[in-house]
Amino acid sequence: MQIVIASGKGGVGKSTVTASLLYLLKDEYRLIAVDADAEAPNLGLLLGVTEWEEEREHIGAKIARINTETCIRCGICQMRCPYECIYVDDEGNYVVNELTCEGCNVCGLVCPVPGTITLEQVRSGVIRRAITKYGFPIISAQLDVGRPESGKLVTEEKEWAKQIMKEQNLEHMIVDSAAGIGCQVIASVGGADVAILIAEPTPASLSDVQRVYKVVQHFHEPAYLIINKADINPGFTKLREWAEQEGIPILGEIPYDSAIPKSMSMLRPFIEAFPESKASQAIREIAEAIKQEIIK
Amino acid sequence: MQIAISGGKGGTGKSTVAINVAVELAKRFKLILADLDVEAPNDHLLLGVELQNEEEVNQFMPKFDYSKCIKCRKCAEVCEEHAIITLKDGTPFLMPTLCSGCRACEIVCPVPGAIQEGSRLIGHTYVTPTPYGFTLVTGKLREGEERSMPLVVAAKKRLKNLDYELLIVDTAAGTGNTVSKAIEGSQLLIAVTEPTPLGIHDTELILQLGKLMGIETWVVINRADLGDVNEVYERAERYNAKVIAEIPYSENIVKTYVSGTPIVTTDYPEAEIFRGIAERIYEFLRG
Repeated sequence: MQIVIASGKGGVGKSTVTASLLYLLKDEYRLIAVDADAEAPNLGLLLGVTEWEEEREHIGAKIARINTETCIRCGICQMRCPYECIYVDDEGNYVVNELTCEGCNVCGLVCPVPGTITLEQVRSGVIRRAITKYGFPIISAQLDVGRPESGKLVTEEKEWAKQIMKEQNLEHMIVDSAAGIGCQVIASVGGADVAILIAEPTPASLSDVQRVYKVVQHFHEPAYLIINKADINPGFTKLREWAEQEGIPILGEIPYDSAIPKSMSMLRPFIEAFPESKASQAIREIAEAIKQEIIK
Repeated sequence: MQIAISGGKGGTGKSTVAINVAVELAKRFKLILADLDVEAPNDHLLLGVELQNEEEVNQFMPKFDYSKCIKCRKCAEVCEEHAIITLKDGTPFLMPTLCSGCRACEIVCPVPGAIQEGSRLIGHTYVTPTPYGFTLVTGKLREGEERSMPLVVAAKKRLKNLDYELLIVDTAAGTGNTVSKAIEGSQLLIAVTEPTPLGIHDTELILQLGKLMGIETWVVINRADLGDVNEVYERAERYNAKVIAEIPYSENIVKTYVSGTPIVTTDYPEAEIFRGIAERIYEFLRG
């Protein structure tokens, strides 16, 4: 089974909860974790991974380059670039900003001087594999700074994870998705069997989780909700009301706990570092609910 | 003038810093705040305003006129997104969600009129007046759309037609090319971070991006009392970035965040920290 954990908004505790849930489910099920936040991956850190066993470079991004020797400085490339990524430098040369180029090759197609603008394949990042200190494998990716195509990295991560699942006869893939609703999140959610949404009771988090839920609906996947930091905003009932209206079952509510950043500093799943806290108790109940409702 | 507020990881407090600094600096500049976190725009919620002046962002999509198409497959060959597939006989078909709207197919098509102008709605931009004397420009990607770059570009284009002295850009999380597109043109980059190993890891990436873009970078440490700030200072120094403020975890900040009231408009003691950040920026911009 493939379970994706998504939130829309960053910082609501998705990786914290995911790490703890993995920790609680690892003894009963054969799991693989996928950190699908390729621009800011950190699930590996939380699961105590310090060294990666295998690292694959992902060469896939394409970046346009302009040969200033043969360029006749007509400016057509700059005019036609759909993302305004071509600028004129101090010496009057037309230059592609490699940190914003999408690699569509429109500049190359419109350039009147053959061979002046070429589309070059560059590294877009790396995908890594490790065994966590809890015994289950993890796949993680890191997009290189300023590169496009983080969604493609995520798709490749999931392919690799599927292959490992087959080889090692694993049962469940748990995907920790990125913030937002764009290509990384679509790649994370697509193909999953179930989505678990995590939100906090604030207007911003509600707005973002509603958006990610629309993406989940697009793929016709059943969704569940976990309310994190449930007590930080007493009186805010809209999150719960929305879930009820949409018929999204609530798996549980986790109270705010100031020890959570401490567990992050220790680079351990919260549940392992502070097993007696109220938040840990809530996470244990959620893990039970997942066993009952989702992983039957 | 333009400054950018970013932070690598999501949830570090970028938007909180952005809106409060905007409220303060709007007293001294004709200001626009641009919410370029187009996948999850929230600045309007934090400012307690409803988005206004909606404009559609439509993206080009090829529409094939099959009576004219000569089935040469050129359109499919140049499509870097592989959004155009061809049948055995060369008849092209578009898979709309993969199309980036770049027009490469239209450019190479040898038959005038065989590819016609189609379009797809991919999101909206908004221009919203705020009660704090500045204008908020927001880009919002439509759910189900994959590509945020065109929305960032559309929002930046729209604000170019507006009159302002200072533009503050609030970026998305991460360090991919849509974040660099948002930051592009800034004289100053402010990275909002948390003093946890995860926060520091992600901050390092945004510091790298700042360095690659050649932009002066400052660091604001949010929830500073929830971790070891020394590590942040060390990393910042490595990248020649100054740490200009530490914000403690505070229930007052959470309270104002939730109620859509910028904390600088209140008497809470924490307001002073945000005013201090705004003051530093003002001095920087004044030179």
